[in-house]
Amino acid sequence: MSLSFEQVGFQYRGTSIGVHDVSLSLASGELVALIGPSGSGKTTLLRLTAGLISGHSGRIVLDGRDLSGMPVHERHIGMMFQHYALFPHLTVLENVGYGLKMAGVEAGARRKKSQEMLDLVGLGQLAGRRPAQLSGGQQQRVALARALAYSPQALLLDEPLSALDASIRGQLRDQIRQLQQQFGATTLLVTHDQEEALAMADRIALLDQGRVLQYGTPTELYENPLNETVARFVGLSTICTATVCGEGEIDTGYARLRCDTGARAPGEQVKLLVRPEHIEADPPLFAVNRMEGHVTLNRYLGSFNRYDFMPHGAQQPWLGEARSAPADAIAVAPEHIRLLAA
Amino acid sequence: MMQRFGAWPALTFIGLFFVLPLLALVPEAVSENGAAFGRMLADPLFWPALTNSVLLGLSAGVLSTLVGVAVAWQLAQASPFWRDKLMALLGLPLAFSGMVIAYGFILAFGRAGFVTQILGYLGADTAEIGGWVYTVGGLTFAYAYYLIPRVALTLYPVFANLDLRPIEAARTLGATPRRAFLDVVVPEVGPSVLGSCAVVSALAMGTYGTALALVGTQVNILPLLLYAKIGDGGADFPVTSALSIILLALCSLVLGLGDHFSQRREHATFE
Repeated sequence: MSLSFEQVGFQYRGTSIGVHDVSLSLASGELVALIGPSGSGKTTLLRLTAGLISGHSGRIVLDGRDLSGMPVHERHIGMMFQHYALFPHLTVLENVGYGLKMAGVEAGARRKKSQEMLDLVGLGQLAGRRPAQLSGGQQQRVALARALAYSPQALLLDEPLSALDASIRGQLRDQIRQLQQQFGATTLLVTHDQEEALAMADRIALLDQGRVLQYGTPTELYENPLNETVARFVGLSTICTATVCGEGEIDTGYARLRCDTGARAPGEQVKLLVRPEHIEADPPLFAVNRMEGHVTLNRYLGSFNRYDFMPHGAQQPWLGEARSAPADAIAVAPEHIRLLAA
Repeated sequence: MMQRFGAWPALTFIGLFFVLPLLALVPEAVSENGAAFGRMLADPLFWPALTNSVLLGLSAGVLSTLVGVAVAWQLAQASPFWRDKLMALLGLPLAFSGMVIAYGFILAFGRAGFVTQILGYLGADTAEIGGWVYTVGGLTFAYAYYLIPRVALTLYPVFANLDLRPIEAARTLGATPRRAFLDVVVPEVGPSVLGSCAVVSALAMGTYGTALALVGTQVNILPLLLYAKIGDGGADFPVTSALSIILLALCSLVLGLGDHFSQRREHATFE
């Protein structure tokens, strides 16, 4: 079931907050993550799709049906909420079967299907419990089983992992992705966790102030961000100002670095972007783009160190990652320096 | 210091001033081998009093609950500024004596009441309207005056804390707005509403201050029958005790039913 947004606009009354001219398309079975800072419009887009808010311009089309004006209960959408939103007075099994009941599925078949779904999420033995008797992670797995049980045409995930402990988050993230692929559910995921988006999504739409800044695969967003805002939001990086000083060379004020300057003319101001994993610690003496300096901060993260390295003469440190922090020099290969418009 | 005595001071107080007076009724009522109950049942005033009390309790309870639920819902939706004002206003009737309320109703809706007079100018029958306030219907309205705030203030936190997200979940799962309300909101707030209704119904059945001030003994209800029997020169204490036990049992039954439905919230099933 494909889902598309065609020039969708919506504004909350009396404010300029909302979404503006959003066009996106999701192929059948695809998982698209909507990321962006608070107030960027990602949740608005999700709630417009569900029909929980209405009055948008443009079209939201699900499997060929224009959803404009269609009541929520006719949209045939499964949704997972940040705080689970299970029915507290129903058992786990009855929660999972609610969508099937609304669809008119007979009690026996409903119970069988609900039990199957619970088994799939590994909670088959807790069918008779009430939501309050489950942990947060278990409740969210019930919510996942409930959302998928009646085979919705689209699955909407509203920050489904943000209320959970870090230890269960990764596990549930994989489970959601696995089941989403198993069911072939076209899915829209709202998250403020870029790592979650990179790990789960087929494609990511980065929104800012209600507009889509970039829509592409996780690799495209990470490796080829269109501008500084995207680069800053997706992944960690060093971004600093430089001037093109010749073909294939830029000047940061404290170092001249070799890189692909493309068609930029000498004297042009640019922003350089380097990802931390591309910074080499303690390179050979004659390495290209070698800079001497010292580490100002080192963070031990188990399998690697993430450090701030201040080159001599620089005002802003470079962020690097390595098995061990450099003693007095770093280098970055020319192909790993990406130039953005200043 | 208090921990040394545990709950004993409170239990002693309850025992002396609540349980003991109630227990004192029992030997008095059964003092003539239960003959007092026979005399009570044979009293031509007893059955109408019982019926009127049940009617008054249920009508005042249901009316107060219906209006109280609407007020509580409004309170939950209101801004903090208006909520504070409304709550202060709702607290007023609770502070008034039943006598004051009765007198207010007589001044407004009695035979010479200003509302009755205004309606008279508009062509209504003042005798009929002025007489109505002294009936079970009139009493229902007078009781509702101070029972509505009780319901509203009890239920306001229930509505204010109502989690609306499961309603949205139900809607996305295919429930119509009405169905989502019935499946999600009613099971959540229903037991509290029923419990509140039971409490105010029991209060309406047992109270007599407002009734006495408003209608004297014109309306035959159990508390006023009891009052009349105590007030009589030749008071029949065994019958009065028997009547008290019946009234107590009636109020306890209504409270017990309310409690039963409130408890069901924990055991609700959905099939």
